[in-house]
Amino acid sequence: MAEAAESPGDRGTASPRPLFAGLSDISISQDIPIEGEITIPMRSRNREFDSSTLNESVRNTIMRDLKAVGKKFMHVLYPRKSNTLLRDWDLWGPLILCVTLALMLQRGSVDSEKDGGPQFAEVFVILWFGAVTITLNSKLLGGNISFFQSLCVLGYCILPLTVAMLICRLVLLAEPGPVNFTVRLFVVIVMFAWSIAASTAFLADSQPPNRKALAVYPVFLFYFVISWMILTFTPQ
Amino acid sequence: MTEMHHCTGFLNYFETDSSISSTKKKQECLPQTCSTLNTECMHRRLRDDRHPLATFFHLFFRVSAIVTYVCCDWFSKSFAGCFVTVLLLLSFDFWSVKNVTGRLMVGLRWWNQIDEDGKSHWVFEARKVSPSHIAATEAEARIFWLGLIICPMIWIVFFFSTLFSLKLKWLALVIAGISLQAANLYGYILCKMGGESNISKVTANFLSQTVFQTVSC
Repeated sequence: MAEAAESPGDRGTASPRPLFAGLSDISISQDIPIEGEITIPMRSRNREFDSSTLNESVRNTIMRDLKAVGKKFMHVLYPRKSNTLLRDWDLWGPLILCVTLALMLQRGSVDSEKDGGPQFAEVFVILWFGAVTITLNSKLLGGNISFFQSLCVLGYCILPLTVAMLICRLVLLAEPGPVNFTVRLFVVIVMFAWSIAASTAFLADSQPPNRKALAVYPVFLFYFVISWMILTFTPQ
Repeated sequence: MTEMHHCTGFLNYFETDSSISSTKKKQECLPQTCSTLNTECMHRRLRDDRHPLATFFHLFFRVSAIVTYVCCDWFSKSFAGCFVTVLLLLSFDFWSVKNVTGRLMVGLRWWNQIDEDGKSHWVFEARKVSPSHIAATEAEARIFWLGLIICPMIWIVFFFSTLFSLKLKWLALVIAGISLQAANLYGYILCKMGGESNISKVTANFLSQTVFQTVSC
């Protein structure tokens, strides 16, 4: 509450006081919060508005999109909070990672009858359906991230787990045993933590502060299921 | 959205031609003056307007995805190999139709844009063209729209056949195919409509027109 100094001067003073004369004596003991909205017309920084991209060659389009995908992979490997990464979303990275992971999680590919079909489609469905469910959850909690942005982030952050799968397959070429299992467990745990760190660095900012844990928990579960599938994989 | 109907395509074209003075450039950019240019410019423009390679790739990825899906048993016994191949073909088709062939063949473009406070906008843009330009690229436009409409219908047929024959492991692929192709179709229909809001009337008109033209020629 503001404490205003009593205005000096008696009631009986006849001389007219200048306006706001006592204002310099007012002291405010704490900050008064001010809020409102300022609307600034958005200067579109999007490349599509340039007339130069309307007639650019196909090669330029391809190179630009490839560079965007590569940049996102780098951002997952070294996660930092960067809003600009999220703005240009694309789903190429999640597609490549999903296909790679599903191919590596196949088993029984030698025998053509049990050709690993169901497992392949299963992994695919789990990944995409899980990502869609988490996105719906975060939108229902009031997050201001768009549907495809969230899918993009979740998909790209599967990269550490794909690397873990590669390492596990290599380790499984050696003899089985408790040492083998411990090494794989360690690798999977490290990569799981990395995935969670990378995805929450991007996703947590978009949620209201009292809902962050509610939004992050399904992400934790999603990567946990994938890590479980990786850890319990045994090629027959 | 109507503010975007400016012939930026032509502006870019004329910037490379040093014989046209800069004061004339903006004037020539208007749709009604484009057709009154000298014949050399017009012939060059009409020649440059055909994109046979784009037409080929527009149809190539879609048709080969369908063919691979139908004939995969003949090529290899591996489910995963066939799945991945069809999925990659569908993704390349989605990307090329959205980014390349729509822009080149019919001058339409759509994309998603996210502004600073995280709200996403879908933007649809159509290039304004002169009647002579439309006449030159009519065949390409027809191929574009026919390819865009027929392939999702084929994938819907596959959906029902997969569902009723209970080969459920293919269902994920068919659903992916339908969603990718339907997304492109929907995006381009919205571009074409421009400001009109009654989508069912416009689509019905357009479909009947296209089918009639195809049947009658």
